Amino acid sequence: MKALLYKQFCLACHPMAVVFCFFGVMLLIPNYPYTVVFFYVTLGIFFTFMNQREQRDLFYMSLLPVRKRDAVKVSAVFMAIIELASLVIAVPFAMLSARLNPLGGNAVGLDANAALFAAGLLLYTVFNAVFLPAFYRSGYKVGVSYLKAVIPVTLVILLCEALPHFPALLWLNDTSTEGNVRQLPLLAAALVIYAASMPLIYRRAAKYYEKVDL
Amino acid sequence: MDILRVEGLTKCYPSFTLDHVSFAVPQGAVMGFIGRNGAGKSTTLKSILGMVHPDEGHVFFQERDTADDERYMKENIGVVPGGMTFYPKKKLRTVTEVTRRFYPNWDEAKYQHYCKVFLLDEEKRVDQLSDGMRVKYLIALALSHGATLLIMDEPTSGLDPVSRDELTGLFRSIVADGTRSILFSTHITSDLEKCASHIAFIKEGALLYSGTVEDFRHAFADRGNTMEDIIVSVERRDWNEGTII
Repeated sequence: MKALLYKQFCLACHPMAVVFCFFGVMLLIPNYPYTVVFFYVTLGIFFTFMNQREQRDLFYMSLLPVRKRDAVKVSAVFMAIIELASLVIAVPFAMLSARLNPLGGNAVGLDANAALFAAGLLLYTVFNAVFLPAFYRSGYKVGVSYLKAVIPVTLVILLCEALPHFPALLWLNDTSTEGNVRQLPLLAAALVIYAASMPLIYRRAAKYYEKVDL
Repeated sequence: MDILRVEGLTKCYPSFTLDHVSFAVPQGAVMGFIGRNGAGKSTTLKSILGMVHPDEGHVFFQERDTADDERYMKENIGVVPGGMTFYPKKKLRTVTEVTRRFYPNWDEAKYQHYCKVFLLDEEKRVDQLSDGMRVKYLIALALSHGATLLIMDEPTSGLDPVSRDELTGLFRSIVADGTRSILFSTHITSDLEKCASHIAFIKEGALLYSGTVEDFRHAFADRGNTMEDIIVSVERRDWNEGTII
């Protein structure tokens, strides 16, 4: 896996996948739909898969002494690294955002708090669950797979941004320490869902890819 | 001893069937896998490499079934695909740096030696190499990790006669000590005359012949004197007056 990850970052990774990881800085923009930050990260992953297809990465890997399902595994691990890195990098910007806007009040939707990170993990889970198996059904249909994934991801974004507009869910926008503590169970649940889903997503995608003739 | 044994390889597509292909590559042999375009050469090689799933059949590398131990075969073979088309915009140095990590037997001194003798500039991008140099680069990679079998898909296609002659000479040198073997597909009969010790001849998905070049000439003596005459005679399809309407 070490050699495969080295290959992934050295040959396959599109530079924008790394650049988008730093889009957490957008949490400093006042009144902005912050979940879009995570959408950009999925775009970076899409670029990487497109780059892999154009460079015939799966063909290259099929000549190496690795199992076919390892090609899927390295993609899943790569996605997880990029997604989790984007969340970690966003943390200091979220803290700074809370300090700059102590009253919160993002007019668009979610504020930069623990609930936003839970939404990010949920969004990534949905994206991975649709995109990875869809891509490895063929091994080359990147655009269609992304389109299939983007539709539910957009719905999750709309839902998450709409929730704090309901009076009963105003606490989701709380950026105070107490508010973040109250939101922590949401973040923990999202993290569990994300971590538990990744192996299942990988297995499903690998099952499809095993049947693909290159 | 056979380094590679293919038994009853079958793959059905809607418009083409690879039909129970069986042959063996002896150790130290250069086996030319010949047939016209669309005969099933690439499908057979891809099935051997696990890139295509055969409906039936087995592939044995050093008597180990590759279905059970594909990794062992891939660690011990070198593959030269038809035109090296992966990562064309990367430098050779980068591709090598990544590739070598997959082979526990990688020998850097050997690799540097082959770069020198094949005049490979590691600072060049893959797409800056000529077709012949790309084949040499992949051969350098294969020999540097101690491959005992080189599988090449039309390595001489599109090359000028001088480069083809140079490569066929290289193939002979690779197997000279008897420890390595080569299986290469081609539709250029003159390449076979120059370097092949064995032939597998495929037509419309079915293997017509597999054995030594000498036996091949005897078996098809009534079809012509040269290899080209024999293959053209077997493959030729005459057009009739109804062809063009």
